Amino acid sequence: MADEAFEIVVATHHAEIHRYLVRVTRRPGDADDLSQETFIRAFRAHSALPAGSNVRAWLFTIATNLCRNYWRSESRRRRAYEAAGETAAHHEEAEGEGAMVMEQASEEIGRIVAALPLRQRLAFTLRKVHEFEYEAIGRSLDCSPDTARAHVFQALRKIRRGLDAPAGARTESKR
Amino acid sequence: MTREPRSCREIEPDLIAVATAEAPPAAARRVESHVAECASCRSELTQYQTVDGLVTAYRDTRASEADPTLARAQLESRLADLRSRIVRYGVFDSPLGPIAIGVSEHGVSMVEYVRPAERTGGGLARRAGGEAVEDPRRTEGLYRDLADYLDGRRTRLDWPLDLRRTRSDFQRRVLEATARLPYGAVTSYAGIAREIGAPRATRAVAQALRHNPLPIVVPCHRVIGSSGDLTGYAGTRIGLKRDLLAVEGVHTMPGRGDYHIERRAVYYKYLDGAEYCLPTCGGILEKPLGDFTVFGSRDRAEAVGLQPCTDCRPDLHPLPV
Repeated sequence: MADEAFEIVVATHHAEIHRYLVRVTRRPGDADDLSQETFIRAFRAHSALPAGSNVRAWLFTIATNLCRNYWRSESRRRRAYEAAGETAAHHEEAEGEGAMVMEQASEEIGRIVAALPLRQRLAFTLRKVHEFEYEAIGRSLDCSPDTARAHVFQALRKIRRGLDAPAGARTESKR
Repeated sequence: MTREPRSCREIEPDLIAVATAEAPPAAARRVESHVAECASCRSELTQYQTVDGLVTAYRDTRASEADPTLARAQLESRLADLRSRIVRYGVFDSPLGPIAIGVSEHGVSMVEYVRPAERTGGGLARRAGGEAVEDPRRTEGLYRDLADYLDGRRTRLDWPLDLRRTRSDFQRRVLEATARLPYGAVTSYAGIAREIGAPRATRAVAQALRHNPLPIVVPCHRVIGSSGDLTGYAGTRIGLKRDLLAVEGVHTMPGRGDYHIERRAVYYKYLDGAEYCLPTCGGILEKPLGDFTVFGSRDRAEAVGLQPCTDCRPDLHPLPV
């Protein structure tokens, strides 16, 4: 693939990869760094990519691997939980504006997703936000499609429980 | 067909699959028959369907939350920097042994004879400078040109060159003057020194060509010692210089540890003259080689637009082939 073709790769996929990384890191600054790193790595490697490869899935695999390395750093994990906490606090302030129920639920889901174990979070985001097949998710996460699916379902269970429980807990704490 | 409801625990994954519209038909049927009889799983299914709807909302509402514009701009500038430094290279089995060819966005930036032990490993990549990436596909077209050249099927390598790896302005001038030497023509280090306006810098010219980053393409094999000896090539691989000259029709004789041009067996162009002469013309053999460019054949001399000398008439009395 020539360098000109790589410009098209950036133009086509950068925004989506960035969105993915914002969701899984919960920190736009880190997502900026990781999205840059994803494409820098892709640039170094793209000439070795066989013709006809699924470039989008390949980029997501690079981004996913970077996330997994990134998450090995304990301090980052802590910062991300703090970021999740800030979002939750923001959520409480916004509560009561009735028309925003869906948006609040989305915020809540974001908070729950941020607290998921990494592989569940990555699998959930790849499947539910970026609509990858389980085979592709398995390839990104080095696991079988069935395991990828189990991660997603586990995430959905936690989201369901999370949407029930904290709402009640919050109501109590407010009264 | 058995309609026995599975346990609630067993049916749960199927339930999620149905709620998220991923269930295969068999699982969908299992869920259907189970929830028909199990109120709690029915409510469970409804809840998962609600969750699925909210997840879809999550997917859509947060999509524009973070602006990628800045990250994109930073990426573009890093890529531009990387592009200017990256060297894509391949190693090819040439008739002269393994040869690495590297190309940057500015042009060919590396041609290197590779020792077999060096084919893999970082040394080659380091010497390629900048960011080296092995990419034979990017360079195989160049190698085909080179193979044609070494086979005598092509007399020019019209490649854009990237001379940023030159060590100094002086070396650059030496390389550029050497690159202008025509196919099949030979001059001496002194000749190049004179050409670049530094007639006393013969040794420095030799030194600059010793570190030629683009051998063959910048034909330093066409530059020899004033004695007619080939004097050095690619370290101690003087045989390569002999072979490259032979491809171009310039034949050499073996001597003591070196090869030399037989001064009586070549045609001569004096300085910037427009004619070519026989070695017997006007005391040529007593003059220093640095004053001449020599050619192995009349064809090569005439290919660069030279006329036969009207005194010695090399067209009427050509050298024996």
